[in-house]
Parts: sequence; structure tokens; C-alpha cells
Amino acid sequence: MPDTTRRPLLDPAVIARLATLKLRVRAITEGILTGLHKSPHHGASVEFAEHKEYAPGDEIRHIDWKAYGKFDKYYVKKFEQETNLRAYLVVDASGSMGYRGDPARMTKLEYASALAASLAYLLVRQQDAAGLVLVQGDVRQAIPPRAAANHLRLIVDALETRQAEGPTRLSSAVDWIIEHAPRRASVLLFSDLFDAEDRVLKKLAQLGRRKHEVTLFHVLDPAELEFPFDDPTLFLSMEDGRQVEAHGRDVRKGYLELMTRWREEVRRAAAEADLDYALCRTDAPLEDVLLPFLARRNRSAA
Amino acid sequence: MNLAFGNPALLWGLAAAAIPIAIHLFFRRRPRPTPFPAIDFVLRARRETQRRLRLRKLLLFAARTLLLAAIATAIARPRAEGDRGAAPIAIGPRATAIVLDASGSMRYRLDGSPLFDRARADALEALAALTPEEPATAVVCAPGTPQVEAPGFDRAAVRRVLEAAAPAAGFADLTTCVQAAARALSSSKAQEGLGKRLVVATDLAASAWRLETAAPTVESARGPVRPEVAILDAARGAALPNHAVVGLEAEPDPSAGPRGYRFTATVVNHGAQPVSDLPLSLVVGAGPGEKDAKVAIRAFAEVPAGGAVKKALLHAFPRGGPAAVQVTLPPDGLPQDDARALALDVPRDVRALVVDGAPSPVKYRDEAYFVEAALSSAASPVRPKLVDAEAFPREDLSQFDVVFLLNVRSVAAKGPELARFVENGGGLFVSLGDQVDAERYGHELGAVLPMALHVEKSADQRGAGAAAGAGAGAPGAGGAARFAEVDWSHPALSVFSGEAREGLLGARTSRYVLARPAPRGAEGAAPRVLIAFDDGAPALVEGRRGKGRVLLFTSTADRDWTDWPIRTSFLPAMQRFAAYLTGGLEERRERATVVDVRRTLRLDEGETLAALVGPDGRERRLPELGRTGLQTEGPGAVSWVPPDPGLWQVKVALRGEERVEPRLDFAVWPDARESDTRRLEPSELTAWFGGEGHARVEGESRTAGSRALPLWTILLVLGVAAFFLEGFLLA
Repeated sequence: MPDTTRRPLLDPAVIARLATLKLRVRAITEGILTGLHKSPHHGASVEFAEHKEYAPGDEIRHIDWKAYGKFDKYYVKKFEQETNLRAYLVVDASGSMGYRGDPARMTKLEYASALAASLAYLLVRQQDAAGLVLVQGDVRQAIPPRAAANHLRLIVDALETRQAEGPTRLSSAVDWIIEHAPRRASVLLFSDLFDAEDRVLKKLAQLGRRKHEVTLFHVLDPAELEFPFDDPTLFLSMEDGRQVEAHGRDVRKGYLELMTRWREEVRRAAAEADLDYALCRTDAPLEDVLLPFLARRNRSAA
Repeated sequence: MNLAFGNPALLWGLAAAAIPIAIHLFFRRRPRPTPFPAIDFVLRARRETQRRLRLRKLLLFAARTLLLAAIATAIARPRAEGDRGAAPIAIGPRATAIVLDASGSMRYRLDGSPLFDRARADALEALAALTPEEPATAVVCAPGTPQVEAPGFDRAAVRRVLEAAAPAAGFADLTTCVQAAARALSSSKAQEGLGKRLVVATDLAASAWRLETAAPTVESARGPVRPEVAILDAARGAALPNHAVVGLEAEPDPSAGPRGYRFTATVVNHGAQPVSDLPLSLVVGAGPGEKDAKVAIRAFAEVPAGGAVKKALLHAFPRGGPAAVQVTLPPDGLPQDDARALALDVPRDVRALVVDGAPSPVKYRDEAYFVEAALSSAASPVRPKLVDAEAFPREDLSQFDVVFLLNVRSVAAKGPELARFVENGGGLFVSLGDQVDAERYGHELGAVLPMALHVEKSADQRGAGAAAGAGAGAPGAGGAARFAEVDWSHPALSVFSGEAREGLLGARTSRYVLARPAPRGAEGAAPRVLIAFDDGAPALVEGRRGKGRVLLFTSTADRDWTDWPIRTSFLPAMQRFAAYLTGGLEERRERATVVDVRRTLRLDEGETLAALVGPDGRERRLPELGRTGLQTEGPGAVSWVPPDPGLWQVKVALRGEERVEPRLDFAVWPDARESDTRRLEPSELTAWFGGEGHARVEGESRTAGSRALPLWTILLVLGVAAFFLEGFLLA
């Protein structure tokens, strides 16, 4: 049952504002979009999306005879709606994403889910394909990208029902995408990056080398950024059994120095890996994240 | 170094220093469990700051504990008393002599209680601190020679001596007392092997010590050695400012009017600060029990620090007779010297009968003109009544104190009455002239005249020629007689001194009557020639008849035979003669004495001493006076040592009735040495006793041998530093 206390994933206000923008793709994606996208495959049919080996029952008119001449095998063309953008929305649903620093705020997972759902809507509206990969240690759920409107509901439902738990291992999502996204796609990663693996960004860089366009939405709670603890506190890990007792006043300075340094490293590593990076505070309005992102997209698409 | 506390009872506050420990152990806040995703950062931050945090926590803990401990200890006012160079602690028991200062300055009230009470408490405490093996004795250092017994083991007896002691009003010589105490310590052969110690409880008044003399020593097996000395400062280092009246003189002053006196008070200020507008009052009628005492004059004095001023106050008494006055200051720490009394006899009005033997309508030719003018001047206590020789027989002589017969031809039937008048104490002044017949005077006044009259002698007969045209008897130059031999010590003439004597010696007398001394065996005392002419002939002769006195002037009281009436000395001489003839010039009163000095009281015939009334109004009857030193000095004379300053009254018994006799009132003054409350520097006293190795001053005084370091200020500074350290660490 979806958690009724959770916020609706699609913030109508955000959607209303985004309705005036068009989502643009920075690099050439596979597929051709009518009137808006540039396809990396020159001369390809706008309708044609991919091949599938002929199986009885497939329509004869969809057999690609050129492919037959080439490969001496029957292949059937699969057609999409007019889109060339395939986006994978990778949402980190590990235990750490379940944190909220203030009861009035969204958890990081809720925030990430709202962002992902908003973007999915935009993509689907533009007849772009949006898929979902939910990571909880490993990939717990994957919804292949589709451009259909009813596909959006699948994504939303998946996000809404997911509870934050388990360790953070984004490399499993990277592996899954590498395996399941043969063509260039846009990978939108929503995570706090509290990964046990230190080289998670290098792992993400693999996607870039495969021509995927990766955008890293670094979702953090303001409490993680500002560390507003003054009293003796027993900090409990949200992914394993570790706990540490510390006086907030005593460790604040060191914590903030480490946090700042880490974020800078993430930003730098992301830049080095040619990953688009956006810091997302869960107390910031969604449009503050989406609009700059979309604006960048428009500029790069132009 | 000894640690002492001003408020030891407040040391319980030190328990507050345990508050940080208690909070850390029992009331530390439990950490709140909080799920937090970035725990790795917390771990690393804690790991990096752990050592620094541990040190900071320790310092914080120490700062808080120090802050509380410092404040709590500071409230108890600790002080470190170093005994650097203090008297060495003798090994074994010591014979101890406790000297208790009981001088007048110990009556000084400091913080509401007399210094003597503190000193006695210190002395008793020192006595209680002795061990049973230490013999002790006590010396109460009061005015007089101290009596000291050898140290003994009867502690109770020594305690009784100290408890029964009371501060005297007079001066006590502490140098003498400590020397007597040192001799007592040396007096017992059995105690020769014991250490010797002097304990002196005093106020360190400099006037009580004679540091120019040798310090006391005690006999030991090695010979004379300096004893160990502990000086207990009753004032605890406090200054003792004091103002006092240290002198009071009274002199008749005609400028103040009849019966006018000039009182000169000397006021001192033994303080470090000058005193301005110090109120000074002259109180008249200030005897004990006097209901009519009133403030006659109020004045103000400015007295510099450590200085003295004289203040003159003029006052005229409304009537003659015994009078008591007191000059007072506002009471201060030592009130006994804030007043000084004086008893004096104010001359009564003298009723004089002036018999004019040669009246004249021309004033300056009147026989009595000059005498009456002299006697009735504004400042004169004499009230003359002028009659001529014819009216004289009708006068009642009992209404007068003195009779002036001026060139009276004859007293006739008045002679015997006049003789009785003189015999009963009346005064008689006789001047001669052309109306006087020597032989008749011999018949009528022979009983009273100090010398029999002989013949007249004039300037002519002295060998000088009369000036041309001058009549016989007119004062002339050249052969005129002068006053040559004058008894200046006589009370009637003692007023003339210095240049004033010229007013007497310059008088020229052209004619006088020679007087013959009475034959041997004649009644009455021998006549006394007070003034003689330059040829040796008597000019002024005194005689005593019974209780009365007679003065015979062998010339005229007007200008007929002498120019003395127009000399400056005539007026005061006549007034003095009138006073002397009535007994007003006799100093029947002894001057005021200082407290603790023996004083003699001379009673009249028939009187016996019944009691003495002190300044406090309390009667001391004969038994008490006998216990306190009353001695008989002869017929009608007793002596006694008054213990307290102020005005004392004498109650006499006469024919079975007791009454206070004002003429016997006497004033006792405080000893000015005890008013000097300036204190010795403790280092001076310890140096005199032999230095830091032998003596120390106890109390809150700073000395070279004993240093009290107030620690509480240091502790407060530490506490403030701990407070700021805590803030710094928390920041």
C-alpha cells in the first residue's frame, strides 16, 4: 500500500512551471525525435527504434530486409513514438536515503523520488522514454524506459511504494545500466552518495565512457550539511549497526570540514568524469533543482 | 608559613568544588540516540579531535573546579603568615611572663570595644596556650611601680590577676613593666634551665615605650640573653586617631568685663588626617551633679595632622565665688581626654567704704577722687561707697569688706569698731595727708596701724630747694622721693612686671609721714614694708590684725603730696589693694594635677573630710578612700591619688552636717602622654627586643618578622582567570 503520509510525487506547482519548458538532450541520443531532437544515427527512421529477431506472430511488414541481406537472418523492426531520448532514473533507496533532519521535511528518498517523478513526467510528455532503477544494495527494481503515458504511472508507483533500507551500492546500478542500456542514454542518478565504495564516482564515470549522459543529483539533508547538534548524541548508522557517541559541539567543526572537503571531491570527480552535478538540499524547492537542470539541457541541446 | 583564615566557618563552601565532579559522575546528560546517515564523517571527526577534546575536557573540568574552589576559599579570607625570622621556638618548656598594658590609651574604643578587653583576651589566650610544664606570671602594667612575682604553676592565680585587671586612666611605662617582667623571669633559680618568654598585650602606643634604653634581658646559664618575645597587638594593625585637650589655662582678663577670664585651651590631633571645624565648647558649672551646667561658648578649631592649636575663649562670670569650667571636644575613640576641667575662685564683689577726709567741690582736688575712680572702673570688682569723714561714724562697717580712710582727721568713736572690723577679717587702707595728726592716729588707730606715725618729711627737708613760687607741699622736682624698694613678690604688687614697674617707680612724692615700727612685744605680726622711698622710709606698709589686713600709705591718695594718682600704676594698685585686703588675691586653690598624682586637700578649722565625689558623680566615703591610699598630712590636711580625670568635689562634715564645699573643688587632668595614640612600627619594637630572631608582633600588622599575605585576593584573581579560561575553552 502506498504510504499515505508521503508527499505526492508530482508536485503540481512544479509541473505547472515545467510545462513551459522543453526537455533537451545535450548529446545525440539514439533515436530521432520529430521536430526537437537530433539523432546520432543519420538516415535512420524516426520510427525505427530497434531490431528484434523474427518470431512467429510478428508482423511480416515489420521485417527489416536490409538487415536480412546483411545478416541472412530475419529481424523485425521495433518502433517507438517520436523520441530519441532514453533516460534511466536511478534512485538510491538505501537506508541512508530514509533520513530527514526535520520532521517537516521530506526524507531524502522522498525528495529524490519527487525529482525523479517530475523528470519522468517531462520526459514522457516529450515522448522521451523514462525508466526507473531502484537501488538498495543491488538493483531491486528496474522499469525499462518507455515513452508511454501509462508507463509513467509504473514509475511513480514504484517510487511511491519503495521504503529506504539496505546499504548503498550504486555500482550495482551502474552495472545494470551498462548491461541493459546498449545505446546512449541519459542516466539521472538520485543519491546521497554515502556509498561504502570509495570509487563510486569512477564507477559512474564508466557510464560516461559509454557515451551515456550522466547527471548526478546529490541529495542531502540540511542537517547533514550543517550538523546542528549541540548536545551529547549517540549517532546511529541507518544502514548497519554502527553507532558512535559524540558531543555535537565537540565534533561539529571537524565534521563540517570533512563534509565540505568530501563534497568538493565529489564535485571535482564528477567534473573530471564529465558528469553533470547538482547538489540538492531537501529543504530546497524542486524547481530550484529542475529548472537549472532543464535550462542547462536546453542550452546544450541548442 | 602559617595559613590562617579570617572567616574559617565559611570554608564549608569548598564543598562546591566537588560540584563539577558530581555533575560529571551523576548528572551527566545521557546522549540522545539519533539515526544519522553521515556517521562515517562523525566517526572520522571524532577520531581526529579526540585527543584535543580530551585535553580540552580536562582543562575545562579543572577550570570549573578551580573557579569554585578559589571563590569558596577566598570567601574564607585566607592569609599566609610567614614567620620568616620569627622568634625561635625554644626547645622544651618556657617560663612565661605575660605583660598586660593597662594604661590610659588602652581605654581607646575600637569597633565598639575597648582595646583593653581585646588585650586581656589575648593575654588569657596566651596563658591557656601554655603547657602544664611552663610556669607563668602576669604583670598588669598600670601607673606606678609594677609588682611582679616569679613565674609559678598556679595558672588559676595568674588568670585571676588578668581577669581582675582594669585599665587605668594614667600613664604606664611599658619599658619599665617588661624590664620588671624580665627580672621576674630571672628570679627563680629552679627555672634557670627553662627558656624564657615575654608576652606583651598592648596597643603599641609609642609614648609608652622608651626605646633609647637597653632592651630587657634574662639570666641564663650562659649569662644574660634576650628572651623570646611575642607582642600581641590589641589594635590588630589599625591606626588609632585621637584628638584631645592637653592644656587649659585661665587668666583674669578685664577685656572680657567684670569677673572676666581668658581660657586658653590647647588641642592636639594625633591622627594622620587634619581636622577642620572641630567643635570646642566651654562649659560653665561643670561639676558632677551640677544642674546648672551650660555651654557658655562654642568655637571651632582647625588642627593639622599630628599638630596642636591654642584656642582662647573669653568668659565673664556673673558672680564671684568658686566656679568650675570644662573645655570639651566631641568624644572620639578615647573620650577621657576630650574634656579638661578647671576649678577657680572668681573674685567676689568687694564692698568698699571710701571715707573722704578732705572733700572738694573741684573733682581733681577731692581727696577721694582718684581712689574712687580707680576702684569703680569697669573691670573692677570693687563697689565703692563714698562718704565724707562726718558721715563715716554712721556707717555700718559689717556691710563692707574694706574701708579706705583717705586723709581722715579722726575716726573718734569709730575706732574700736574699726579695730573689731579688722580683727574679724575686714580690710583697711589708710592714706595720710594734711588732715592727719600722728598723735591722734596713734590714740584712735594705734591698735590697727602697722606702724605708728611720726613726723612729716618733705622734699625741702631732703635738701632740694623748692621751685620759686611753689607753695609748701606742692610736688616738686629734684628733691621728690621715689619708690625705690618694692616687694614685687607681694600679691598686691606682683601684677607689675617689666615695663609696668616703671609706672610705679616713676611716681614722685614730695611729702610723706615717717612711720615708726611698733616696739618689740607689741601685739600682731611684724609689719611688712611693701614699698620704701629711696631714703628707706616706708611708703606702703602691711600689717595683720586678727583675720584682717591693713595697708598704710604714708603719703596722700590725691595729688597733694604725690603724683602717684596720675601714674598708670595707681589704678591697678588700688584695685589690687582692695582685693588683697579682702583676701581675693590669695591662691587658696592648688593647681590642677594630673591623674594618679597625689593631691593634698586642706580643710578649714573644724572641718573633716566626709567623702569625695568623683567626675562620675559617685561618692567615695572614707573606708573606700582609705583602701585607695588616703593619707593624713597634718592638721586639716589629707592627701589622696585621684584615679580618674575630671572635676572632683569635696564633701566636708562641720558640726555634724555634711555639705559639698565648692572652695575645695579640684580638677584632675588626664595624662597627655596617654592621649598620644600614635603607634610604633612593629619593626621598631621587634628590633628593640633583639630583632627578628627574638621577637614577633602578632595581629594583622606587617612586620619584618611576621608577614601576613592576604591570599584571598590571589584566589579571586585565580578564580577570575579560571572563569575566562572556561569561556575560552568553551568558545
